[in-house]
Amino acid sequence: MPTVDMNAETVNDLNDLKKPNAVGEAHGMNEAPPVFSVRNLWKVFGPKAERVPGSDLADLSPDELREKTGCTVAVRDVSFDVRPGECFVVMGLSGSGKSTLVRCLTRLIEPTAGTIAIDGEDVRGMDKGALRDLRRHRAAMVFQHFGLLPHRTVLDNVAYGLEIQGVGKAERRAKAAEMVEKVGLAGMEARRPGQLSGGQQQRVGLARALAADPEVLLFDEPFSALDPLIRRDMQEEVVRLNRDEGRTMVFITHDLSEALRVGDRIALMRGGRVVQCGTPEEIVGSPADDYVRDFVRDVPREQVLTVRRAMRPVRSAGEAETGAALNPATTVADAIEAVARTGAPARVVDAGRCLGIVDFKSLLSIVAGLDRMPGRVHSLKKAVA
Amino acid sequence: MSTATTAVPPRAVAPPGRLRTALRRPAARKLLLLGIVTAVLAPLAAARWGSGAWPDALTVDLAGPLGRANDWIIDNRDGHWLFLYFFGHISNAIITSVRGVYLVLLALGWAGVTAGASLLAWRLAGVRAAVTALASFAVCGLLGMWVPTMRTLALMIVAVAASVAVGALLGLAGGLSDRMFRAMRPVLDTMQALPAFAYLLPVVLVFGIGVAPAVLATVVYAAPPMARLTAMGLRGTDQGVLEAVDSLGATGRQRLLTARLPLARRELLLGVNQSIMMALSMAVIASVIGADGLGDRVYQALSTVDVGSALAAGIPIVLLAIVLDRTTAGHRSVGSRSAGLGAPPAVAGGGWAPRRTRTLTTWAVAIAAVVALGRAAGAKSWPDHWTVAIATPVNTAKDWMVDHLYSGIPGIGGTADWAAHYTGWVLDPLRDGLQGLPWWGALALVAALAWMIGTWRTALTATLSLAAIGVLGRWNVAMDTLSQVLAAVAVTLVAGFAIAVVAARSPRVDRLLRPVLDVFQTMPQFVYLIPVVALFGIGRAPAAAAAIVYALPAVVRIVSQGLRQADPAALESARSLGATGGQQLRQVQFPLARAELLLAVNQAVVLVLSVVIIGGLVGGGALGYEVVFGLAQGDLATGLMAGTAIACLGLMLDRVTQPTKPKEG
Repeated sequence: MPTVDMNAETVNDLNDLKKPNAVGEAHGMNEAPPVFSVRNLWKVFGPKAERVPGSDLADLSPDELREKTGCTVAVRDVSFDVRPGECFVVMGLSGSGKSTLVRCLTRLIEPTAGTIAIDGEDVRGMDKGALRDLRRHRAAMVFQHFGLLPHRTVLDNVAYGLEIQGVGKAERRAKAAEMVEKVGLAGMEARRPGQLSGGQQQRVGLARALAADPEVLLFDEPFSALDPLIRRDMQEEVVRLNRDEGRTMVFITHDLSEALRVGDRIALMRGGRVVQCGTPEEIVGSPADDYVRDFVRDVPREQVLTVRRAMRPVRSAGEAETGAALNPATTVADAIEAVARTGAPARVVDAGRCLGIVDFKSLLSIVAGLDRMPGRVHSLKKAVA
Repeated sequence: MSTATTAVPPRAVAPPGRLRTALRRPAARKLLLLGIVTAVLAPLAAARWGSGAWPDALTVDLAGPLGRANDWIIDNRDGHWLFLYFFGHISNAIITSVRGVYLVLLALGWAGVTAGASLLAWRLAGVRAAVTALASFAVCGLLGMWVPTMRTLALMIVAVAASVAVGALLGLAGGLSDRMFRAMRPVLDTMQALPAFAYLLPVVLVFGIGVAPAVLATVVYAAPPMARLTAMGLRGTDQGVLEAVDSLGATGRQRLLTARLPLARRELLLGVNQSIMMALSMAVIASVIGADGLGDRVYQALSTVDVGSALAAGIPIVLLAIVLDRTTAGHRSVGSRSAGLGAPPAVAGGGWAPRRTRTLTTWAVAIAAVVALGRAAGAKSWPDHWTVAIATPVNTAKDWMVDHLYSGIPGIGGTADWAAHYTGWVLDPLRDGLQGLPWWGALALVAALAWMIGTWRTALTATLSLAAIGVLGRWNVAMDTLSQVLAAVAVTLVAGFAIAVVAARSPRVDRLLRPVLDVFQTMPQFVYLIPVVALFGIGRAPAAAAAIVYALPAVVRIVSQGLRQADPAALESARSLGATGGQQLRQVQFPLARAELLLAVNQAVVLVLSVVIIGGLVGGGALGYEVVFGLAQGDLATGLMAGTAIACLGLMLDRVTQPTKPKEG
C-alpha cells in the first residue's frame, strides 16, 4: 500500500535527522570544542533590565512588559554553539533580536544575563583590556552599513584595524594591500569610500575584518543593502572564505535564501527566541512549528533537501546491487537528474553500504511537499514517539 | 475648507459637546487654562497695585547697589588680590598678546601682510580667495585705513584664537559627556540669542574700558558657536562608523582621534568660520568699550554724522569680513571636493612624510621672501601718497542727497519723509499702545504666545524675563525698544516671505539672489548703520531700516530653503490633483515648511533686536541708548540695568518664538 510505504519512509527520515549533519561530518570537527558557546543569553533594554530575565515578568507579552516596566526583551534565553570552521547563520525578520544577539557576542551591546564563552574563555567576565584584545585579534565584524571612515582611503580603511592594534605603518599598509587584492579591489587603494559602489564598500569592510586575521568573522546583515546580483557575488565570496580557508563565521541575515546558501547551520529567531536551530535541510524539511513552516513555504525544496530524506528502504536484494550510486548529501534536484537520465531508481550509498533507494515516486513526493502535510507530520511524530 | 474650521478659537459659550471637542486640541486647552489664571490674577493685581503701568511696589532699585559695586571695583582695582592676581593677569596677558600680534603685523610691513594673507587664502581656499584678499588689503591701504585695519586684525587674531580654543574645549566636553551637553545647550542657545550690547557692560564693570575687556567680550560672544558646532559635530558622528571602530577594539582615545574628530571636521571648520565672523562683528561693536581700530573710526564718525569718514572705515570692515569668510569657508568646499573626487594617488608605503616637509620648506621660503620684499620696499605702514581720501566726496554726495532726496520729490516724497511717516504712523502708535497695555496683560499675552508656539517651559522663561524687566524698572523703555522690534520684524517678515516665495519658485531669481545674500550675511551689524544714516539721518527710523536690512537675508534664505525642500512627491501629487500655484504654496509648501517658517520668525526677531539695540548709537533711543549713555558717562549702574533688560528682552523674544522640538519632548 502506498500510504504505508510513505509512512515508513518518513519515519526513516526523522531517524536520520538525529544523526550529525553532513557538513559537520565532512569537516570531522564535531568533537572540537565550540568557538562560541552561548548559554541562556538575555538582552533586555530599558530601566532596571536585570530584573526581567528568569522572573515572571519575562512571561508577559512585549506590550504588557513595556507598559509595566518600560523594558523590551531583544534576546530571550538563547543558547547555541558555534563550531570551528562552520558558518552559523542567525536568521529572523527585523525586530527578532538577531542583530542585538551578534553584538552581544563581543559585547558591543552588553548582555543582561547568561554566559558567552569564546574558546572556553568567559567573555562577560573580561575586563576592558581583554575585551579590546578579543575585538582586535579574535572576532572581527562586517556591518550592514559598512561603517567605513569616509575621510580615509580604501587602503587606510583596510589598515585601520591594524593601526588600532599598533602595527607599524609599512607593515600594516603591506598587509592591507594584500587584503585589498584578495577581495578584488586592486587598483582602488587610493579611492575614498564615497567613490565606491555599495558592493565595493562592503568588500572594503570585509577586507578590513580579514586584515586582523581573526578567529571568527561576524557578519551583521552584510549584503542587505546591496543589489541582488552583487549580493550573489558577495555570498559566493563568503562561501569561498568559509570552505577554502575554513573560517568560522556567524552570519546574520533576514533573507532565507541567503541563509540557505551560506549556512552550515541556521538558527531561526522570532521575538528574541531561537525557534529552531539546525541544518538548512532540517529547517526546510522538518520545521519545528507553524511559524518556521510558514517561513520556509516558498523554498524550492528539491534544492535543499537531500536524498537521505527522500530515500525509501531497500525492498529486494536486487535493488541494492543495481542503479546509479548517489552520496547521501546529494540534493533531490541532482538525484532527479540522475534518475531521469538512467530511467531507473538510484541507490543511496555511504561508505560502500547501500542506505536506501530513490525512485521517481519518492523524489517527486519531496518536490510536491507530500512529506510536510501538517496532519501527517503530527501523526508521524506520534508514531516515532 | 478644513483649515478654516480647525482654526476656530474655542469659545466659553460653546455648548458642552463642542467645548469638549475643542478642548481636545492642546492649544485650546493651554489657552483656556491661561485664560482662567489671568482672569483670577489680573483683577487681584489691578486691585492691589492700581494702574496699568508697572507698579513701583514690584520694582527693585538696583542703581544704588550697582553704583556702589562699581565704586568699590574702581577703588580696589589696584589693591585687591582678586584684581592683582586674577583679573590683572588676564588683562595683562590679553594686552600683551594683542600688542605682540600688532607688532608682528607691523614688522611684516604692508607688503608682507598683504602677500601673506593672499598666500594663506590661496592655500586654504584657492585662487579666487587669494585675489579677493590681495584686492581687499590693497583697498584698505588705499583708503588710508592701514593702521586701523591692522589694529582690528591684531585684536581679531587674539580673540579668535582664544574663542576657538575655549569653544573647542567646551564643545569637546559637551560632545563627549551627555550631562555636560544637557547643561551647556540651553546656555549656548540663550547666549546666541542675546544682542551683542548685553555682553559689554559686565566686562566693563570688572576690567574698565580698554582693549582687554573688548577682547574678552569678543571671546564670550564668539566662543558659543564654536562650542556648539564642535559638540554637534562630535555627537552627530555616524553611529554605524563608531560601532565599527569599537568592534575593531579601539580605545577611547583612538576613537576620538581617528574617528570622531576627523568625522566632525566639517562642523569644526564651520565653527571656526562662524567664530571668526562673530568675533569681527563684536570686535567692531566693542569700539564703544575701548577697542581701537576700524570700529572706533566708524563710531567716532557716526557720533558726528560724518558719513564720509564712517564709510572710509566701514568699507575695510566689510572687505575684512568678506576675506575672512571666503578664506575660512573655502576650506570647507575644497575639503569636500577632494573627498568626492580626484583624491591624491597615494600608493602603499606612499611618501607622505617627505611631501609634508617639502610643503613646509616651500612655505617658509615663500614667507621669508615676502617679508624681505616688504622690508626692501621700506615702509612698514602703507605709504601716505598712495591713499585716496573718499571722505570729502562722499560727504558732498551726502549733502546733495540731503538737499534733493530727503524730501520734496514729487509723488513719492523723500527718504526723510518716509522716515517721519514710519516713526509717526507706525512706531509712535505702537509704542504708546505697548506702554498703555496693562503690565499683567502684557505678561499674559507673552505667556499665551510662547505656550502656543512652544512648551510651558519656554512660556515660563519668557514671562519671567519680561517680568524681570519690570522689576528692574525698565518697563517703559523696554516697551519702546519692543515697539521698534515688532514693527521692524513685521516689515522684515512680509518682505522676506515675499522675496523667498519668488526665489523658491524661480531658480533664476535664486541664482541672482544667492551671492547678494552671501555678502549681506557676512557683514557685521555695525556697518549697516552707515548707509541708513546717510539715507535717513538720525532717529528710530534709520535704526529700524538697518535692522530690516540686516535680518532680511537670513529670513529669505531660511524660508526659501524650507519651501524648496518640501517633499517633491507631495508637490507632485498636489499638482496631479490640479492644484494651482497658490494652492500648492498654501496647502503643501507652507505647511511642510512649518519648522523653517518658525525658525525664520525666531531669527528675524533675534537679529532685528540686535540691530535695534545698536541703533541707540544713531538716535534709536530706548535701551540701546541707555547702554551707550551709561558707558559714555561712566554711569555703569544705568548701563548695566539697561544691559540686563536687553538680555531679558532678547531671552523673552527668543523664547516666545521658540518652536517645540518634539525630539526633546
